[in-house]
Amino acid sequence: MMSLATRLRPARGAAIAVLIYLAMYFVYAISEASATSVFAITNLLDNTIVLAVAAAGLTLVVLTGELDLSAIGVIAIANVVVATTSAGVLGWFGSLVAVMLIGAAVGLINGWLVVGLGLQSLAVTIGTMIACEGVALVILAAPGGEVSDTIANGLTGDIANVVPVAAVIIIGVLALWFVFARTRLGIAIYAVGSDENAAGLSGLNVRRTKLLAFVLAGVAYGCAGYLLSAQTGSGDPRASNTFLLFMYAAVAIGGTSLTGGRGGVFGSVVGAGILTVMQKMLFALGAASFYTNVFSGIIMLVALFVGNLSGLRLRRQRGAEWQSATPRP
Amino acid sequence: MRPPVLRVDDLAKRYGATVALENVSFGLNAGEVCGLLGENGAGKSTLVKALSGVVTPDHGEIHLKGDRFRPTSIVDANRLGVSTAFQELSLVPSLSVATNLALPDAPRNAIGLVSGRELRQRAEATLAQWGAADIRPSDIVDSLPLGVRQRVEIIRALARNPSVLLLDEPTSALSDREWLFGLIDRVLKEGVSILYITHKLDEIRRLCRRCIILRNGQKVLDQAVSEMSNDDIFRSMAGRSAVEQFIAAPSSARPQEAPALEASHLTGEGIEDISFALQPGEILGVAGLEGHGQGPLFRALVGLHPLHGGRIAVAGTARGLHSPRVARAAGVVLVPEERKTEGIFKDLSTIANISVPVIRRVSPLHFLNRQRERQLVEQVIPDVDLPEHFLPLPITDLSGGSQQKAVLARALVLGARCLLLFDPTRGVDVGAKQSIYRMMRAFVHEGGAILFYSTELDELVHLCDRCLVLYRNHVAGEVSGGTLSQELVLSLASGQAAQAQPIAAGSP
Repeated sequence: MMSLATRLRPARGAAIAVLIYLAMYFVYAISEASATSVFAITNLLDNTIVLAVAAAGLTLVVLTGELDLSAIGVIAIANVVVATTSAGVLGWFGSLVAVMLIGAAVGLINGWLVVGLGLQSLAVTIGTMIACEGVALVILAAPGGEVSDTIANGLTGDIANVVPVAAVIIIGVLALWFVFARTRLGIAIYAVGSDENAAGLSGLNVRRTKLLAFVLAGVAYGCAGYLLSAQTGSGDPRASNTFLLFMYAAVAIGGTSLTGGRGGVFGSVVGAGILTVMQKMLFALGAASFYTNVFSGIIMLVALFVGNLSGLRLRRQRGAEWQSATPRP
Repeated sequence: MRPPVLRVDDLAKRYGATVALENVSFGLNAGEVCGLLGENGAGKSTLVKALSGVVTPDHGEIHLKGDRFRPTSIVDANRLGVSTAFQELSLVPSLSVATNLALPDAPRNAIGLVSGRELRQRAEATLAQWGAADIRPSDIVDSLPLGVRQRVEIIRALARNPSVLLLDEPTSALSDREWLFGLIDRVLKEGVSILYITHKLDEIRRLCRRCIILRNGQKVLDQAVSEMSNDDIFRSMAGRSAVEQFIAAPSSARPQEAPALEASHLTGEGIEDISFALQPGEILGVAGLEGHGQGPLFRALVGLHPLHGGRIAVAGTARGLHSPRVARAAGVVLVPEERKTEGIFKDLSTIANISVPVIRRVSPLHFLNRQRERQLVEQVIPDVDLPEHFLPLPITDLSGGSQQKAVLARALVLGARCLLLFDPTRGVDVGAKQSIYRMMRAFVHEGGAILFYSTELDELVHLCDRCLVLYRNHVAGEVSGGTLSQELVLSLASGQAAQAQPIAAGSP
């Protein structure tokens, strides 16, 4: 029988992240009276959601064992595209489709350069990141533009003053992930990141899997840019500059191995949540804002250390088992 | 007679300048196990990969059941009826046994998602069908011992219902070989043909009526096993004994002195209670078929492989050799197996490759004194017959033999007292071999001691004073002096002499 423990094993890192999140939220809630109001929760989730969606996309690429820095470039393009078209020619829906297609296109370029030409993903995506940021500046040279009210109001409020729209989106992302993780592609993404050679010898199409991971990640970045536009209400080609390292921090805190094969989107979303709730918590505690990064860094190191502890134990155990499996006289 | 199920004609594959396979032709009949033997680099793995769709041969034809067989991928090969249990194991570590068994096309439910329950049920049925009901489908492969992983690998190949099954070293980690042999007998009755790759002669004799031997990418022998002695088989695999000359020299061992290197009851992963005493002036051979503990033993002696128990003494004093650096300080130097990855620094010149361990000594105030460096290096290069004009050249411009001479010179440059040579003549030309033999003789004549592993039995027989024979990670026997012969070493190394030897291995 498959015990609950066995099912949860790959999610151990995410479980740690959930505990950290709850602990921080608890501290935040007891030190700030209004923290549990619908308004405060909506605000908290709004602050989380862009990072969460971008980190979710990044997780797919990281799981395959590759790296992707192009996110902030795609977010920048998406933001300026929404700011220049959503109130005009394309409307809210047209601009959503547009940014998803743009993300997919950048992902396709990344994927093709990595699996088609065999270039290193880190180098390739630095290139596409810079190029995309340049494109964003070409589209909109200075902050400005206008985001359609449908987007700005529709994505940041509450449904019937009770349920934050951001909560619905996050639940939607997680639901999509849990379905995706059970598709053949989802399994292949884990397999490729875990051991590319073994995955190939097991009959999986390694190149196709990586390519699709880059494309899906690009689509997620596009969506993240759309959500960012809803919150800022305008276009700013440099608005996404601070995201990059926080995306990786969210992925790592959430228990996803940066070398691939282990982790998942759930952890990354919680990781994004941690980075946001921590700011609220520190603010509520009266800590000066420049301490935030000190804590972000420490939290990440703690999460890595705890996640690695279980890995160490597993290795030691395996060593002992290996010995008992070798033939004895 | 019916035509063979699998027919290979004139197969060839090159990697750059290296010929991996050339003119290989053979047939495989229905319901037959055919052994495939050969040394490392003989082309066995390339042949397996060509047959399983992983690499495309440059030349030649394969026919399966009369049809042309040109698999474009491993999935394609599976579909056409060829499946493979790979030596390096092709299971994905982070996935469960059940998922691994279902790859690449896991069963899906009505809405297109992979069904966990069906995955598990299928895996349970498959495991039970192949006599492995003790393996839990939900276990993550990563957490399983190597032996269990190998069983899953074999079962996955069997479960694809192949008409041709390729087993590449399927018993390298298995503790229960009879389990596999039982399954092989079972599928043979169903008419499956098996190509069985191994280093272990006892398995060939147990399973195969016929065996094929590859050497340097070519088929050198295809014969009934019963017609050949172990020595015949060995000679066909190595095929060099006739060419090389060994100068007989009297032993220079000094048995009255304290052992240069003494190991007592060493145990660790892949090392089972190994003891020996290496005297100054002695060449102590280590023989063993691939994967019988020689690698871990040599690495453990310089601290590169963890030991769980036992003691090491250098020149009569107990020493903990925790790292190659500490070992070197004690005068014990390992010349490792993989010259390309463990031996040479491929971006450095030959002289820099040799002087690495003494670089501090020739760098007063941290500036390299090239003259002093050259003086130190020039002291040792005559010992290995390395021409002086090679020194400034990039080491990658040198032949394999000269590279190995440079690696040996590096071992000597610090005044080692005890050399651990792991297959130092592999991939080395005949001339360089003679130089290496001369260096070894001279080294022990001066009172040094050598622990010498070689895959070539004739080297061991002709150079060593004594020879330890490893079988299944422990010392199956020791042969010395007049009784040292290839036949005796080989029979010990392949477990043949198990019954005759009181300390030899039985079944696990």
